[in-house]
Amino acid sequence: MSQADIRKWFMKSHDKGNGKKPAPTTSQTPSTAKEEPKEPVHGGQENPGRRKTSKYFTTDKPKAEKETEVPAKRKTHKEPDESVKPSPAKKVHKVVDDDDDFVLPHSKKNSVDATPSKKLKSASGVGVPQKLTAIDEGGDNDVKDAESPHKPGGKGRGGRGTSAGPAGGRGTSAGPAGGRGRGAGRGGFMNFGDRKDPPHKGEKEVPEGAPDCLAGLTFVISGTLDSLEREEAEELIKRHGGRITGSVSKKTNYLLCDEDIEGRKSSKAKELGTAFLTEDGLFDMIRASIRAKVPVQEAKKSVDDAAAAPLPKKSPNKVASKKDCAGSSLASSVSHKQLESDASHARRKKQPTEHSASTWTEKYRPKVPNDIIGNQSLVKQLHDWLVHWHEQFLDTGNKKKGKNPTNSSAKKAVLLSGTPGIGKTTSAKLVSQMLGFQTIEVNASDSRGKADSKIEKGIGGSNANSIKELVSNKALSMDGLKHPKTVLIMDEVDGMSAGDRGGVADLIASIKISKIPVICICNDRYSQKLKSLVNYCLLLSFRKPTKQQMAKRLMQIANAEGLKVNEIALEELAEKVNGDMRMAVNQLQYMSLSMSVIKYDDVRQRLLSSAKDEDISPFTAVDKLFGFNAGKLRMDERVDLSMSDPDLVPLLIQENYINYRPSSAVKDDSGIKRMNLIAHAAESIGNGDIFNVQIRKYRQWQLSQSACLSSSIFPAALLRGQRETLEQGERNFNRFGGWLGKNSTLGKNSRLLEDLHVHLLASRESSSGRETLRVEYLSLLLKRLTVPLRELPKDEAVHKVVDFMNTYSISQDDFDTIVELSKFQGHPNPLDGIQPAVKAALTKAYKEGSKTRMVRAADFVTLPGMKKAPKKRIAAILEPSVDVIGENNDDTLVESEEENSSDTEDLEGSAAGEKLQQELQSLNTKGVHVQFDLKGATNSSAKKTPTGRGRGGSSAAAEKKGGRGSGPGGKRKR
Amino acid sequence: MLWVDKYRPKTLDQAMVHQDIAQNLKKLVAEQDCPHLLFYGPSGSGKKTLIIALLRQIFGPSADKVKVENRTWKVDAGSRTIDIELTTLSSTNHIELNPSDAGFQDRYIVQEIIKEMAKNRPIDTKGKKGYKILVLNEVDKLSREAQHSLRRTMEKYSAYCRLILCCNSSSKVTEAIRSRCLNVRINAPTEEQIVKVLEFIGKKEGLQLPSGFPARIAEKSNRSLRRAILSFETCHVQQYPFTSNQAIPPMDWEEYVSEIASDIMKEQSPKRLYQVRQKLYELLLNCIPPEIILKRLLFELLKKLDAELKHEVCHWAAYYEHRMRLGQKAIFHLEAFVAKFMSIYKAFLIAAFG
Repeated sequence: MSQADIRKWFMKSHDKGNGKKPAPTTSQTPSTAKEEPKEPVHGGQENPGRRKTSKYFTTDKPKAEKETEVPAKRKTHKEPDESVKPSPAKKVHKVVDDDDDFVLPHSKKNSVDATPSKKLKSASGVGVPQKLTAIDEGGDNDVKDAESPHKPGGKGRGGRGTSAGPAGGRGTSAGPAGGRGRGAGRGGFMNFGDRKDPPHKGEKEVPEGAPDCLAGLTFVISGTLDSLEREEAEELIKRHGGRITGSVSKKTNYLLCDEDIEGRKSSKAKELGTAFLTEDGLFDMIRASIRAKVPVQEAKKSVDDAAAAPLPKKSPNKVASKKDCAGSSLASSVSHKQLESDASHARRKKQPTEHSASTWTEKYRPKVPNDIIGNQSLVKQLHDWLVHWHEQFLDTGNKKKGKNPTNSSAKKAVLLSGTPGIGKTTSAKLVSQMLGFQTIEVNASDSRGKADSKIEKGIGGSNANSIKELVSNKALSMDGLKHPKTVLIMDEVDGMSAGDRGGVADLIASIKISKIPVICICNDRYSQKLKSLVNYCLLLSFRKPTKQQMAKRLMQIANAEGLKVNEIALEELAEKVNGDMRMAVNQLQYMSLSMSVIKYDDVRQRLLSSAKDEDISPFTAVDKLFGFNAGKLRMDERVDLSMSDPDLVPLLIQENYINYRPSSAVKDDSGIKRMNLIAHAAESIGNGDIFNVQIRKYRQWQLSQSACLSSSIFPAALLRGQRETLEQGERNFNRFGGWLGKNSTLGKNSRLLEDLHVHLLASRESSSGRETLRVEYLSLLLKRLTVPLRELPKDEAVHKVVDFMNTYSISQDDFDTIVELSKFQGHPNPLDGIQPAVKAALTKAYKEGSKTRMVRAADFVTLPGMKKAPKKRIAAILEPSVDVIGENNDDTLVESEEENSSDTEDLEGSAAGEKLQQELQSLNTKGVHVQFDLKGATNSSAKKTPTGRGRGGSSAAAEKKGGRGSGPGGKRKR
Repeated sequence: MLWVDKYRPKTLDQAMVHQDIAQNLKKLVAEQDCPHLLFYGPSGSGKKTLIIALLRQIFGPSADKVKVENRTWKVDAGSRTIDIELTTLSSTNHIELNPSDAGFQDRYIVQEIIKEMAKNRPIDTKGKKGYKILVLNEVDKLSREAQHSLRRTMEKYSAYCRLILCCNSSSKVTEAIRSRCLNVRINAPTEEQIVKVLEFIGKKEGLQLPSGFPARIAEKSNRSLRRAILSFETCHVQQYPFTSNQAIPPMDWEEYVSEIASDIMKEQSPKRLYQVRQKLYELLLNCIPPEIILKRLLFELLKKLDAELKHEVCHWAAYYEHRMRLGQKAIFHLEAFVAKFMSIYKAFLIAAFG
């Protein structure tokens, strides 16, 4: 078939759209021909392939129908046609292969392996297809030919390869799991006992064997393994079909341990005669499976498939292709299915009809209470409650309304709680149905606000009112037994929020008057909103079903749908969805679209993305980013990791990046490479900071990816490797980012410094800025404050220092601030060498002085009746000391009014002021005004005047905050 | 009282350095009006002293009657209100504030608070100047946005409000603002001038000054008069009578920085980098501004460095300082500089000594 033909076909296939089916059914050769055209499309662009996918879905059903029509014909075809058939199968391959090129890089490997096998076969097959292969091989330019020769091995390993690539042998999949394990162990969040790191962690190559080589075997892991983390080992075993249990029992085949730690497990194992297996032994077992088992298995599998395709030669192909699909996308699966539709699975064909009909969650929703997984006792309880409800409440209702519902054990409503997807609603409905209740469901999609009292009388209207009506309407439930009984299911009650004002309260009211049973359902029983509700309800907390329970049910579903799934995979699925049955079923259905055999790795890989949604701690994220396997992480995985907490992760990275010995710097005796890398990383972290400013300050949120790239991913990528400690006694795991703590200390210190600064400014002796104060003044201030204490005799020193403090209105707190800010690690404490007695004397003298001290800053004054001086708003007015002298005039102060003159005459202020005035009679002659701005909006002001100042004070007390204004009146002399 | 405050010139006439500028300023305000002023020059050169003296010249003694106020302003910024706390120092006729204290919210200070202040006409103008004065410190630290908002204010309310801006470097003040002001450059005093001042203080305090001692202080002071007077007094506190070869103690933090520098020179390893980080944190926690740390660190490193590396190291220091200003978390950039230096220096050592 020439290229032109291909093109023609290509066009045709598009034109035809749905018309694809006839071809395969009618004859084989056209089908192959038709398939071929697709190749260029796939190889060339992505879109057509994708489109086809969707087309597939639409065409799915018709096709199936047709198949049902033709089965007999087809079957007859099938078996005799074997010689022809290989070509479609092979073709499938080709297609799949091409798809892979753009879908997922990893599956390429697989296809590569697959191709040769196909080629071999195609040789035996029809000539035309072979040519085709050649053509597109040329077009695709893959490495295909490179590793062709051994087909079976290639196949087995290829299969492994696919799943191993993405899901990761040791690499990726172990990455997350192992990383988490390490994070937990190291991060100290969870203490895993004393389990140590494996001594040769990550040093051994982990073998990859045939997928089911450990099937049927049960393992128990004990102690520390040689190179694998326990989680990694578990995963390895599970991936190969083995089962892990927690404790040794008769069923255990092997106890996996590298050192006999004489624990309970090993003694039990000895008792039971369980075989011990070392890690190396396990590896050997797995490795052996590749060589020995693969052919066998293949044979086995082909036998499995033999029903449809008796020819063993073909089956490997198919299996491989299936694997492909698993690993890759729907696109591939589509083409594959289309082809295979005639080729093999008659059984599977039937299903598409069904699953397009309804989702599995609906289809396999439990039909009878016994179908509900787990929580049977709760279901029973619910059942009993419903059964007895009428006896309990309605009888009383008949006689006298609400007479004895006081019976504490009996609640009129029930509250089902539990995580999503575990069957709360289903149970409620089923039980009601079973008992012949008619259910009325009200959920979050309905407005459930408080009923309007007016309408409560029954005019109907809002939903809430109809609920009210419903629950209070006797007729509904009381019209004898003929009428169906009713039950109200209030779903998602914890979702009653903003829109549903008063919803919960109203619900409670409804429950109180209800004539019908009410079943409330919520996710979080401890939600604040439901606090009041729980008192009126019988509480039933649904638990998550165990993974075994779930797996069992999933298995039933899978069987019903004709999926081949092993139990391990389903358990993994159950575990990954975290008990959410609904999600598990959904996932299963989704996977069934693309594959008919689901294996452990498929599940893992499929759920890798959803698993990411779980919370990972920043420590874990950082561990992963720096870890050995970090290099294998995809970029989006890294972004996800660092985005798990975009504030904290960069800080952790910054704190710890120095500690890593980069694995990229090999043979680095002098450390120069490492130093270079660190310099790079440090610069990149700086970039991150700059990005962050842009984001926060200018709201350039589109930069957040760049920010996390440069603040987390680059440094981690540069320095990933082994962590080492830099300090003696440091524990070898990541420190918490120091910046946060330091920054808050810095904030505190600058506040203190600002206090000091304000005091200095208030003293009017200095007018320098805060920075200047710290950088230049502080050491001298410190000396002036401490040197005398150290050198001079006590009294003189104290006197001198207190004097100095007064001049600059330095308070004792400020004194401490000065000392604190002058402390440097490794330098002597500035207060060393000062006798405690002297310190005490200083404190005493300062306190004493405060009675007579000229007050400079308002927060120094303790107001009677106020515990603490107002700190927040300080206002102090001072006169230049020069002015003090001529200042005995009795000028009544004329105030130049200020903006806030309105708030004069504050009672409190004047009262306080007067008292103060008495207290301060003895003040020295300097004029001092102090004023307070009390916290509130009103500014009460108190002005203190010394004796000399004349009793302006009394009026002054009433003076406003206008210290500024008041000043001029009194002392304009100069 | 510290000498530096005690002997601060109170009036323009008393000025001991920059007499010429002082006289010019005096003449300027004598003619009834005064333009917006922008004082710039290195720290310790006397900008603030001149400003205060100028205020006194304009308003007379009432300029001395000031109050310090720590007020919270409620600023309406679009959807939300922001509380801004600001310390102001004000008399009847002038208000002094430091708008850059508000960090990245300085824009609101300029837009709302300063405008508000500027708008209000002084009420009682008889016998006084018909305008009031706003003194803004550290305008070079104002963000670009804030500076832009400032320039309109300067024009619009110039009838009854004058601004006196004060900063270290005029290069960080936008052109627009500079052109609206009379720029006054205050040079750092020469060493001779400093010596003169020190001797004056010595005489007033009645101290015995060994010959050459003031000169040594002046030399150490990096031509900052404030620095010189402060260390002069520090020496006095530490040891009096003076001896001519008395050690002039460095500032505590300078000492610490030079320790860091020698740490870095001694060993270039991740471990050392980690220790240096701790020490840098220590400095930052003690409220030393990061730019000053970086500058000092560079200075100390240069002292010990071979000539051929100096140029490169200076380049990187400037580079990281720039980035530090762009960024927010100073320690990251300080550390990056140290790491860079270590890697350069280490490479150099290996190349030189194998």
